[in-house]
Amino acid sequence: MSYEMIALTMFASLMVMLLTGQRVFGAIGFVAVVASLLLWGDGGSELAFSAAMKLMKWYPLLTLPLFIFMGYMLSESGIASDLYRAFHVWFGGLRGGLAIGTIGLMVVVSAMNGLSVAGMAIGATIALPELLRRGYDKVMVTGVVQAGSSLGILVPPSVVLVLYGMIARQPVGQLWLAGAVPGLLMAGLFVAYIAVRCWLQPSLGPVLPAAERRMPLSEKLGLLRAGILPLAIFFLMTGLFLMGVTSLVESSAVGALSATGAALIRGRLTRKVMEDTLRQTLGISCMFMWIILAALCFGQVFDGVGAVRSIETLFVDEWGLSPWEVLILMQVTYIIMGTFLDDTAMLVIVAPLFIPLVGALGFDLVWYGVLYTITCQIAYMTPPFGYNLFLMRAMAPPEISLGDIYRSILPFALIMLLALALVMLFPQIALWLPQHVQTRG
Amino acid sequence: MPAVLLAYIRWVERVNRVIGRAAMYLIFAMMGILLWSSVSKGFFQPSLWTLEMAQFVMVGYYILGGPYSMQLGDHVRMDLLYGRWSPRAKAWADGITCLCLIVYLALLFYGAVSSTSYALQYGERSYSSWRPYMAPIKLVMCVGIFLMLLQATAVFLRDIARIRGEEIA
Amino acid sequence: APYVKAQSPIKWRLQTYAGPALAEHVIKPSIDSFNKVAQGQMEIELYYADQLVPTGELFRAMQRGTIDAVQSDDDSIAAPVDVSVFGGYFPFATRYSLDVPVLFNQWGLREIWEEAYGEIDGVTWLSAGAWDPCHFNTKEPIRSLKDLEGKRVFTFPTAGRFLSRFGVVPVTLPWEDVQVAIQTGELDGIAWSGITEDYTVGWADVTPYFLTNNISGAWCGSYFANTERWEELPDHLKELFRLCMDSSHYYRQHWYWGGEAKLRVEGTKMELTSIPDEEWDTVETAAHEFWDEIAGESERNARVVQILKDYNAAMVKAGRPYRYGKA
Ligand code: NA
Ligand code: NA
Repeated sequence: MSYEMIALTMFASLMVMLLTGQRVFGAIGFVAVVASLLLWGDGGSELAFSAAMKLMKWYPLLTLPLFIFMGYMLSESGIASDLYRAFHVWFGGLRGGLAIGTIGLMVVVSAMNGLSVAGMAIGATIALPELLRRGYDKVMVTGVVQAGSSLGILVPPSVVLVLYGMIARQPVGQLWLAGAVPGLLMAGLFVAYIAVRCWLQPSLGPVLPAAERRMPLSEKLGLLRAGILPLAIFFLMTGLFLMGVTSLVESSAVGALSATGAALIRGRLTRKVMEDTLRQTLGISCMFMWIILAALCFGQVFDGVGAVRSIETLFVDEWGLSPWEVLILMQVTYIIMGTFLDDTAMLVIVAPLFIPLVGALGFDLVWYGVLYTITCQIAYMTPPFGYNLFLMRAMAPPEISLGDIYRSILPFALIMLLALALVMLFPQIALWLPQHVQTRG
Repeated sequence: MPAVLLAYIRWVERVNRVIGRAAMYLIFAMMGILLWSSVSKGFFQPSLWTLEMAQFVMVGYYILGGPYSMQLGDHVRMDLLYGRWSPRAKAWADGITCLCLIVYLALLFYGAVSSTSYALQYGERSYSSWRPYMAPIKLVMCVGIFLMLLQATAVFLRDIARIRGEEIA
Repeated sequence: APYVKAQSPIKWRLQTYAGPALAEHVIKPSIDSFNKVAQGQMEIELYYADQLVPTGELFRAMQRGTIDAVQSDDDSIAAPVDVSVFGGYFPFATRYSLDVPVLFNQWGLREIWEEAYGEIDGVTWLSAGAWDPCHFNTKEPIRSLKDLEGKRVFTFPTAGRFLSRFGVVPVTLPWEDVQVAIQTGELDGIAWSGITEDYTVGWADVTPYFLTNNISGAWCGSYFANTERWEELPDHLKELFRLCMDSSHYYRQHWYWGGEAKLRVEGTKMELTSIPDEEWDTVETAAHEFWDEIAGESERNARVVQILKDYNAAMVKAGRPYRYGKA
């Protein structure tokens, strides 16, 4: 069998195994070990474990459990409800104002955490019930929460960009800065969409009664104090890192500590909150880590059969594609695969195949990191497979059906595609900030 | 389901629950070590051991916590087709593919034992100036992976029971 | 891509500890030549640092046959022999890169290495060669020993053990992560190579200072193979592989020697700094104490240290151009 055929067979088997509904890590791991045994016999019997040693040495992974812990702690800390009240009063006068306020809340939460978990939890428990109570359209607001929380991986800090940085060998500080403007741009596009949509169809997002918004300006300004704690957390974690005071992994520990501190200050650090946070952190961390463990093994076997070289030969020599055609083909591949493949696994299996080629074709790998992350965002919320989708299904109030969740995605996924196209056409959207700000981190 | 097997399932799950819940608290150890690394670098001599030690703790955290997280159903599945099947069809699919999971874990365990025996035989030390012995962390990994294997067999037995129309509480 | 035919050629997977940019110089040309000359009878696939197997597991992987051959220093792969401490950069053991082949071929290190690896199952040591000298490249300039204190530096384990006497904090990471770790603040500098490598692999872009004093004149690294795979080779392919190793040793001799001088003179990315000779002498003195410590670890290590002492004494006696300065 040719090496291309082996690689293809492996990939096809992986898809079949995943469709059986077995736990993702088991499906990937099984295909990987069987392939390694068939290819290398006894010599391949230890690749599964050597992946565990590789994972251990991948030091930025230390940020993963700490960011997850931090996300849950933040959502329990009560910071978000204060913030939401402020957005509520400030934006309530607009049609769709609460939904716009929710996007604002999501941007702030995204600036405090590197995953979308915190945003999802806060959106589903605080924003969603409130929006529904106010007569907002359930399909639209479900989409708002999912899309808004996905900003968590684009607005710095971002765990996805940390993992990307490890594979592409690019500095995390620069990647984070590169994600900032596109993140805000995307948030702006979401807001514009909500405003236009609700202006056209006022029933989707009714204006808040004036009585609720009427308060003296001083009190209104006082509500902005809710922003102090988030700002402090952003500075302690991302600020100190970008200034070079803390290293990347240290900054995640500082973030986890500061979120715990915030919960303590607000008197929310109960036994139950602690227990829930610890348990959920363990569960989500284990899920990610075991998938990465299995995917690393799969990636090693894939690499061993020369998949990287095959892809390059195929795209550049055999098909004779131009660099831009290759790039667009890659993004399309990611988006298609991302809709039904686990994106952590995709990062470990597919990204190592594509990223060297992107670099070899002369593209900027910091810029590509942003493209990659936006693609991940789309993957996070498109059915049938996506983490935000899972979380939404688990957390959504009962009146929101699976169909509602699926339908809610479409306009926001299209906006994300638009943002992707904009960043592709105008790389400066991503690159201006990192080129003008010198980071030490 | 024979009583012996029921007892086996209960025993495996109890052990994994206790160990997993203990592992849950290792996140504080990770935080502590990294914060110490930050503090020591700011005020005294940076420590040699912090990054590597934090990595060891991280490995202990997810490997020892793995079986408990599996018990709690935290490992995602792709439910494009699976989600639409009847409970019985799901049980059949689970029963069969659980064997695949066991194959993977068995090979992982085989590699762990082999690597650990090498670490013990040659007194392997980490490739760093701190030079910790590698056997302890590898032994922890062996234990964790073995427990994961036991958990998978327990899950398999539960799947079999479900195929036969029984539900184990 | 190659096809697995019925009468398949012999296939080897060789993993080097160098990343792609560096391997482009230090091993790839020789492997390409090998494959060309072998005319389809044998093909070696080259893998880079941590690509197939993480460096820490590399020796074991070779022993078990996951990998057929390895190019690395003994130190980095934590080879389970006492003499592995002399691989990589053993402080002040050599002044020039030619010292390494002389020590192995004329002063008896080859026999000692063969003896040591003879005691390990499954792995055959094949040949040692020299690479570049070991200098510091850092984010902040180093002009005195005091500037070294508290610096977190990526370096070889044995060199790191030695350097920690001067307050250096040695850090070990996968080789490919080093550049990013400098940028993310995990590292303050690197003590791993000469200036040629700093420019080749991109470290010159992130560490603007280069210290001209070195702690070793040449890295000492080896080729190893899985014993069974090696024994299976027909004689002419064994011979070809030996030629291939020698050609890689030879390429490095001129690539580094010329590169070090050229980049010091013409390089624009790094500023050169020096520690005064008298101050640097204290480092060399400390190194000799370190030698005695290592000699105490095993009878074989004592023999190696004795050879290093005798050799360096002979070089000093031989005078210029072998050694300049103090007699
Ligand atoms: Na973020
Ligand atoms: Na998806």
